[in-house]
Amino acid sequence: MNENTTPKPIIEIKGATKIYGGVHAIENVSFDLYPGEIHALAGENGAGKSTLCKSMAGTIKLTSGSIYINGEERSFADPGEALDVGIAMVYQETSLVPSMSVAQNLRLGKEQFLTRMRGLYIEGQVMLQTLNFHVDPTLSVSMLGAAQRQMVEIARAVYHDAKVIIFDEPTATLTPEEKQHFFDLVRDLKARGVAIIYVSHALEESLEISDRITVLRDGKHIVTDETGNMSRDDLVRHMVGRSEEQTIYHHEGSSGTTSGVAKKKKKMLTVENVTMGNMVKNMSFSAYEGEIAVLAGLVGSGRTEIAKIIVGAYKRNLFHGGRIFLDGKAVRYRVPKQAVDDGIVYITEDRKVEGFLETMSINDNIYLSWLASKLGSSFLVSKKQRNTLGPEMVKKMAVRAPSGETRVNELSGGNQQKVVVAKSVVQRPKLVIFDEPTRGVDVGSIPEIHQIIRDLAAEGVTVLVISSYLPEVMALADRVLVARQGRIVEEFNSTDVTEEKIMYAAVH
Amino acid sequence: MSRQDLAETAENASLNQNSYAKKGWLKKPSQELIVLATALVCFLFFAVTLTGFASFGNLVTMLRSIAVLGILSTGMAVVVIGRGLDLSQVSVMAISSAWVLTLMSSDMSLVTIMFLGLGFALVVGILNGWIVAFIEIPPLFATLATGLVCFGVGRWVLLSGVHAYPPKEAADFLFLGQGIVFGLPMPVLIFLVVAGVIHVFLRRTTIGRHIYGLGDNILAARLIGISVRPLIILTYMISAAAAFIAGITTAATVASMNTEIVNSTLIFDVLLVVVLGGVSLSGGRGGIVSVVVGAILIGILLNGMTILNINSDVQNIAKAVVLLAAIIVDRRLHPKDEETDKQGDH
Repeated sequence: MNENTTPKPIIEIKGATKIYGGVHAIENVSFDLYPGEIHALAGENGAGKSTLCKSMAGTIKLTSGSIYINGEERSFADPGEALDVGIAMVYQETSLVPSMSVAQNLRLGKEQFLTRMRGLYIEGQVMLQTLNFHVDPTLSVSMLGAAQRQMVEIARAVYHDAKVIIFDEPTATLTPEEKQHFFDLVRDLKARGVAIIYVSHALEESLEISDRITVLRDGKHIVTDETGNMSRDDLVRHMVGRSEEQTIYHHEGSSGTTSGVAKKKKKMLTVENVTMGNMVKNMSFSAYEGEIAVLAGLVGSGRTEIAKIIVGAYKRNLFHGGRIFLDGKAVRYRVPKQAVDDGIVYITEDRKVEGFLETMSINDNIYLSWLASKLGSSFLVSKKQRNTLGPEMVKKMAVRAPSGETRVNELSGGNQQKVVVAKSVVQRPKLVIFDEPTRGVDVGSIPEIHQIIRDLAAEGVTVLVISSYLPEVMALADRVLVARQGRIVEEFNSTDVTEEKIMYAAVH
Repeated sequence: MSRQDLAETAENASLNQNSYAKKGWLKKPSQELIVLATALVCFLFFAVTLTGFASFGNLVTMLRSIAVLGILSTGMAVVVIGRGLDLSQVSVMAISSAWVLTLMSSDMSLVTIMFLGLGFALVVGILNGWIVAFIEIPPLFATLATGLVCFGVGRWVLLSGVHAYPPKEAADFLFLGQGIVFGLPMPVLIFLVVAGVIHVFLRRTTIGRHIYGLGDNILAARLIGISVRPLIILTYMISAAAAFIAGITTAATVASMNTEIVNSTLIFDVLLVVVLGGVSLSGGRGGIVSVVVGAILIGILLNGMTILNINSDVQNIAKAVVLLAAIIVDRRLHPKDEETDKQGDH
């Protein structure tokens, strides 16, 4: 929109190519950005958005291609050089130093030889106040919440007099109110003439806030257009290049069952007044055999915590900690092993940290999981067993991999997730808890994972899904439980639930 | 996100079929192979340049010289594969075996005494594992402390001097170090048996596989239902038992035990062999075969240099060079994070 008034782009990229280990992460991508413009980057996981951004921020060097800053060709050896010409990146995983104070972090990378703490704090205070941020500059960053950290990151970019700020998934950890505040801030920055690159999964956000949108797919530039000319459907079509997204989030219920029948089913899990510190307060709910119950709510509402309490990864309070019944029997697990033996498995939201064993192949991952369950309680390992189990599960889960001997961290997000699911399903559980089952999963794999979840329920397994993404909640749920601040505040049947109702319950 | 980019693109690449798979072994030789090749090259070099190096007698001498180091290393390898570290090994080795020698002057049977010595070692191992697993203190500090405690308690309570000697008539015991069976000295045989048992344990038993899982990712291992804490204790117990066996072998070979060995650099030699053998300090990788190969490489180097009359200072430098080379190669072959490894310095 601003091209007319400011004809000269602040950043122009031509023919950008980055090769990692012989594979193109981005290929011949062109991109431009004008002062005072909000430019959204869209694309699936692996489309090359982050690579493109990092090349502008100086974190990585392009294999070939050129970057023009204000018409002058530049190449950055490190992020410091990019910062010197006014390009700052606000990272997905925040890049603040947790042990330092807010004010110190603001100045990070531009320290003077001698620093006076008082001067630093005053400067920080002034800085934060002009941006209308209510953060104490003397606090150490480790004490801040996600939203406040984000603010400090933004303040740092502004402090460094950034002309270009790159936001990589800025809203992933924010609550709706914080998100609105953040959008106001972005618009404010725009009004000051700062150019903004906005990378987000949430298409609605990109459409709401941006002036122009560029879509990448498989490392290639697909289209750049004014946001006004694009609809959500166009965007999805460009991103996916094959099917439409609507079909992904199509509600089927757990196959063969309608929610009306759910009443007759056996109660498998009962959680009664479970409490753990500040995170989970008096939480109560039940889950039934052959049913998909979805636990919706905001990040930090105690959903992951209750799941981990159920499987014994965390411990509820010793006194007044509440009770958990599995199939009518009171249980209290000290370690996940006991839960696994009783047929409860938890599929983590953070598969890179605790999902799979990265040095091992797909088959080994699946087999080791089988060995750890009651099914595989033999003293010696069996190669034959390993070589039948692995391929069997790979086929069942439709994992796309060169072979069963491929290491799991060489797979795409979606296929990694399928292996993580396979590892749990191979243990023949009675109750499966999926925590954000499609986080970081490529769009193509989402319906497949949803189908796996439905199939499990159809086989009579009790399924509890934790999801923050409302279309996913709507697509999967037989019943929706909404958590807020460590409690279950609302319960909906799949027949009378809407996204608005869930959101309202989760926030108010 | 862009790690996923990579994963995705890497997947596409490897789906491009054959070319990648065929070149696989050329692109990424295992460290085991590299160490084996280096050992062979060194062996051939010394065999050609030094007369008598390749004789059976010298090779047996060479193997014998690394037997104790090898036994310690196989035990250490189990701990390191489980992402731990056991710095108390040498003091367990010295104190448990010196105590056995001391007890031999009493009228207990040799078997009883051996079990007492082993029991002492296992207690230290359990203590190590318990501190690491339950109190969650990093193994570096935990085992450093228990090593000192073991050494202090041993010298103060159990022993009566720096050296311990077996009584005059202890032929049964000395056979363990000085006997020759099938033409091989006992220490070499003990080394091979220990290595074989631990190899089978790690590769073929369920618990062995669990140890690899533990070392790879303790959180994931815990979630799939492995009891990680008892497993950690078990790894330290195995390491302590190996230390005990190494101690007995040493004591029986030289008919004495000098507890000052705790102040030597032996523990670093053990770590050298373990890392050289491709057991990554970040856990989950490597095996006993490569540790044995690593030990043999060190044996060949030291033996060759000793015959060449190269002084021990130069030998130390050679060990340092080999260690650094092994770690650098390991880094190149098994980058922890593909992206940062590739972009940082190129």
